[in-house]
Amino acid sequence: MIFRIFRKELLDTLRDRRTLMTMLVIPILVFPITLNVFLAVSESFEESANSKTMKIGIVGDHNKNYTRQLEQIPAAVGPKIIIVFKDSLTLRKAIEADRIQLGLIIPTNESTLRAKQQTIALNWLLDASEVGRSERANLYGSSLQANAEKERLRKLGLRAEQIKPLSIQTINCASDKKMVGQLAGGILPYIFIAFGFIGCMYPAIDLFTGEKERGTLETLLTVPIGRWKILIGKMLVVVSSGMLAASCSLLGLFISIEFLDLAQNKELLEVIHGILTPYFIGSMLALLLPLVIFFAGVMIPIAIYAKSFKEAQSIITPLNIVMVLPAMVGFFPGIELNLNTTLIPVVNVVLATKELIAGTLSLSYFFSVFGIMCLLALLSVLISYKQFGKESNILS
Amino acid sequence: MISVQNLNKTFTLTKQQRKELNTEQKTATAVHDLSFSCQPGRVFSLLGPNGAGKTTTLRMIATLLAPSSGQIQINGLDALINPQEARKQIGFLTGSTGLYARLTPLEIIDYFADLYGVEKSVREQRKEELFSLLHMNDFLHKRIGKLSTGMKQKVSICRTMIHDPSVVIFDEPTSGLDVITAENIIKLIRSCKDQGKTVIFSSHIMSEVDLLCDDLAIIHQGALKYNGTMADFRANMQTTNLTEEFIRIVQTPNAQL
Repeated sequence: MIFRIFRKELLDTLRDRRTLMTMLVIPILVFPITLNVFLAVSESFEESANSKTMKIGIVGDHNKNYTRQLEQIPAAVGPKIIIVFKDSLTLRKAIEADRIQLGLIIPTNESTLRAKQQTIALNWLLDASEVGRSERANLYGSSLQANAEKERLRKLGLRAEQIKPLSIQTINCASDKKMVGQLAGGILPYIFIAFGFIGCMYPAIDLFTGEKERGTLETLLTVPIGRWKILIGKMLVVVSSGMLAASCSLLGLFISIEFLDLAQNKELLEVIHGILTPYFIGSMLALLLPLVIFFAGVMIPIAIYAKSFKEAQSIITPLNIVMVLPAMVGFFPGIELNLNTTLIPVVNVVLATKELIAGTLSLSYFFSVFGIMCLLALLSVLISYKQFGKESNILS
Repeated sequence: MISVQNLNKTFTLTKQQRKELNTEQKTATAVHDLSFSCQPGRVFSLLGPNGAGKTTTLRMIATLLAPSSGQIQINGLDALINPQEARKQIGFLTGSTGLYARLTPLEIIDYFADLYGVEKSVREQRKEELFSLLHMNDFLHKRIGKLSTGMKQKVSICRTMIHDPSVVIFDEPTSGLDVITAENIIKLIRSCKDQGKTVIFSSHIMSEVDLLCDDLAIIHQGALKYNGTMADFRANMQTTNLTEEFIRIVQTPNAQL
């Protein structure tokens, strides 16, 4: 009989456009759309920054040495116009007014310093809040630095290696998978958890508060079925909806990568392919299931208690922040799964998922998180049952 | 048959409710020491003004609410000890009954037939009878949300009767309905009586009571003010019409017929 109730409630829920949007459409589209927009915006910014003509103001270049060097830098780096300024104050004002994008100040004693083979301090003036300015200044600066070094080594009759006794490099021993897990691993569980919560929200309100408000709950309670069976039948739909929403967001990620080719970095693509395995998906869903039951078990007593759809929505919506905010812990480096964090709901699932992506989740931690979440889920179901049995809650 | 003995129902008031009712009392008595019985093949009317305790009484009979004390028997079955068995014999329809707007009448009827455990072969026959009796065949596959009030009422009736209950409870069934739609309910009550079912309905409309009922009970502020047959009620009236007599009984403390 629980399955019969589940079947009817599912049919009813699937015919609700609002629930369909939050359960299927938005989760599937969120990854393709956000990745597409992110890539399009960053590409367009990069393109516009590269193609923009930079006016470079220069002060103190009496023998045109630096002007010539700047002019020789290939136009492929970005078009530029060099304008000579008499003093640094006028140049600064021109930069502030955005008439000039980059300013180069050469010290007045530049010839002396060069002759004495001392360090010449060059200063770039720029508005760092504008995209691409710092990058262009660094690029030009590196070119000037390389030219100056070459000239000085030539005068000294030295090779570059003679003044560079050490060449220090950092070799990253972590796997690409681990790096992605640590750097981007926070976003995936956050999105799954957020959609798991949102997916539960509308069905929970609709199947409990909505039924009470529409006068269908009273009729349902007159049938010769135990109330707990009615509760479980309805709860299964709420949980399925949350799981479906979370799974759809995973499907959206898969579509973005496989069919829309939105992860253009080849190495990253390989890592993501390595993550999207049946083992990962199975483990991820196993962690998510008790969490979604827990979400449903928290929302249902509120939905049962609330007198109207609006009231239920006004209580559950802020709860979204309380429940989903801890999922942001995955964004912070240094917070790891340990005996303490295993006990904190939501946080434990996020950290376990992060480690799952990185391939470092041990079985003992997996089962600890799973067990604790199952316990909390059971507790929340019992609270729901108690609330559903209260006469004052179920009849208006 | 329905037998109600010394029925009481007390609700605990929340702080908010105490404030709204302007009272210091922590509980409110909705039904006080109510006793009556409804016989098969007769229509029993529970009459009383708004807030008299009619809905609470009917909800207790339908096992939706648990009485604070007292006994309820449905066809000899103790409804408090075995509510699920009692529910199998009850059909419950209220004026405020809602239906699932996104489902079709056929889906709703099948759903409730499943919940009442109506066997497939019996169900098909029962559905056929009810659909043709209520002229429902033209809108069986349309969603409830797109049906008129009259059509919805027919679906509610069909839903109430699909398991062929021997006891039918109507809580202000015609409330908010136009006369043509209300006529479906009147016909249903008569049909139930003809089939030998036990019918109890609550109302505050005297014309409806006059038209249908064989026995009646008048309750006010949760307590019984009158219990007897309609024929006796008419014979012993102290005023000129039924409405005035009802008002007299309700408004006069210790009123006697």
